[in-house]
Amino acid sequence: MDLNYTPQQQAFRAEVRAWMKAHVPKEPLVTLECREGYDQHVAWERTLASGNWGMVTWPEEFGGRGLDLIQWLIFEEEYFRAGGPNRANQNGIFLLGPTIMEFGTPEQKARFLPPMARGEVIWAQAWSEPGAGSDMAAIQSKAVRDGDHYVITGQKTWSSRAAFADWGFGIFRTDPESKRHKGLTFILFDLNSPGITRRPIRQLHGDTGFAELFFDEVRVPVENCLAGEGQGWNVAMATAGFERGLMLRSPGRFQATAKRLVELYKANAAHASPAAREAVVQAWGSAQAYAYNTYAVAAKIMAGGRIGAEASLNKIFWSELDRAMHRTAVQLLGAAAELKRFADGSVNQWLEGYIFSLSGPIYAGSNEVQRNITAERLLGLPRVGAG
Amino acid sequence: MDFRFSDDQLTLAESVRDYLAGTHGPEVLRRLDAEGNRDPAIWQGLADMGLTGLLVPEAQGGLGMGLVEAALIAAECGRACLAEPLVDSAFVGVPWLVARGQTDGLDEVVAGTRRIAVPHPINPWLADSEGAALTSVDPLRNLAVAEATEADDLLLNVGALMSAAQLVGLSDAMLSQAVEYAKVRTQFGQPVGAFQGLKHQLASCSVAIEFAKPVVWRAAQALQDGLPSAPVHVSHAKLAASDAAMLTAETAIQVHGAMGYTYEVDLHFWMKRSWALCGAWGDRAFHYHRVEEALLGGAQPIGPEHTFA
Repeated sequence: MDLNYTPQQQAFRAEVRAWMKAHVPKEPLVTLECREGYDQHVAWERTLASGNWGMVTWPEEFGGRGLDLIQWLIFEEEYFRAGGPNRANQNGIFLLGPTIMEFGTPEQKARFLPPMARGEVIWAQAWSEPGAGSDMAAIQSKAVRDGDHYVITGQKTWSSRAAFADWGFGIFRTDPESKRHKGLTFILFDLNSPGITRRPIRQLHGDTGFAELFFDEVRVPVENCLAGEGQGWNVAMATAGFERGLMLRSPGRFQATAKRLVELYKANAAHASPAAREAVVQAWGSAQAYAYNTYAVAAKIMAGGRIGAEASLNKIFWSELDRAMHRTAVQLLGAAAELKRFADGSVNQWLEGYIFSLSGPIYAGSNEVQRNITAERLLGLPRVGAG
Repeated sequence: MDFRFSDDQLTLAESVRDYLAGTHGPEVLRRLDAEGNRDPAIWQGLADMGLTGLLVPEAQGGLGMGLVEAALIAAECGRACLAEPLVDSAFVGVPWLVARGQTDGLDEVVAGTRRIAVPHPINPWLADSEGAALTSVDPLRNLAVAEATEADDLLLNVGALMSAAQLVGLSDAMLSQAVEYAKVRTQFGQPVGAFQGLKHQLASCSVAIEFAKPVVWRAAQALQDGLPSAPVHVSHAKLAASDAAMLTAETAIQVHGAMGYTYEVDLHFWMKRSWALCGAWGDRAFHYHRVEEALLGGAQPIGPEHTFA
């Protein structure tokens, strides 16, 4: 165990810090969940790409810097230290990108990864259906083979980024006789294909970021299928592992929130309850614990290990930490917590953050499902309903 | 930067785990409980493995290892609910003596013929020490009133770190006992462990334990490296490990149902040791206040770039 950064790692940190200082927008961007904010965030992705910071761990040929996971963590720490915006590109770089890296053909890698790294193509996820939420194996949307195309018919929902994104990925039933996890295929599709209708969903906060997608005989070339017909479930589980495990929520995000929470506490200490003070201290402790664990996971992967069902522990931990931190913040704000903009005109980011944090225990597989996975796969308890 | 144990460290911990699993099962705890709590043969076995000399410098015949290895093995002692005072003597007393340059007689510690119990004002009593006896809730813990005048910070920090390490091992064991029980106890025609009401509680214990462990390992490394921030990390570790242990103990007894409330089920040994160690070497309030003061007072740098500050 060596918990010191090398001189090279320190130099890399200094490089990221200097670039971020020069480039991160001084004012917070408008929320990603509306047209104006989405465009601002995509413009930021292109700025990042101009500095070659799109996704530092990817090989240079795909638009990355070929760096390791420790350097990625350093990058993320500096990104959140600088107050970098949420990543419009997250579905691509953190979820689909690693999936293509693992399962894609050389042609698919060359075709999809570089524009992803450059922020030129923004990706939407399309997993859930009206009848397949936590129970994703209940998917019914069909992809029927017709020559060198699939013809997709069906409906996806809660498709994040889909209101404005360029391309989508999801799993579809290619074998009409199949049940549950079998007969599913992972397919990438252009969201502007004929036959796709997007219906933005207005969310809790009033804005629209995710959408319903209706597929009416949408023709998608077979070369857009990842890892072969019928392999969809395994590929999707790998993507979900990236989502829950390491990439989607790097620790810097929560450490930055914990730091802002400490500052908020200090500004409101006069009327804060002892319980709120302890929650602030706990927030720092949990954000640090999450960071240590992530460094441990990164070291394990760099040594050739993999993330398994323990990704579920991660997802439970960060989502409940994020909610707890924002709950504490709105409690500290007291009466002002309800204001969407404070009297000085500034956006109440804590309120936005609290509302967003309520989605954390739901998306990427609800925490109830994560607790089932933990109990069954890590602890070895019998499956639900087993006799 | 490499947040992993070395293969040597893992092999060492595994060998201790296997040894204790083979020689120090629940039946041993019950025998000790009935026959006077301590067994020279068990102690000699630990000495023969080199554990009494783990932190004794090689010049004095020990293994010359560090607090990180000791913390790993303390966790194994917790997992086995070891009754002998190995951790207090060899992993707390010895490094304190070594740090003060008091290395005379450490060869006897290595041989197992001498034990070290160092009082600290934070503990009004001490385990396996001389003095008027007190009765702990933990039937295998021999307490004696201990007077201390010197409030040595290193001693306190090592004691708290090793308590935290034992607590994560104790928590692992309690969770495992609850899981095994939930697999075999059937009600309503199925193992009770198939019910989500139990699964979700046990999964929450797993989350608490797995996110307490890296905090403990980080604290061990910080203390071993002598970082100025080490006391904050030790207190953080004690808090995280105590909270995980209390949650796991309460969940484990609940999962055992009425059986958990009996002396017959093994769980109570682990639960009572956990309760004892949660208060030892600084209780929750003490360690909470140390973290709070460092954070809110500004001594501890915070933010994404300060993960290892």
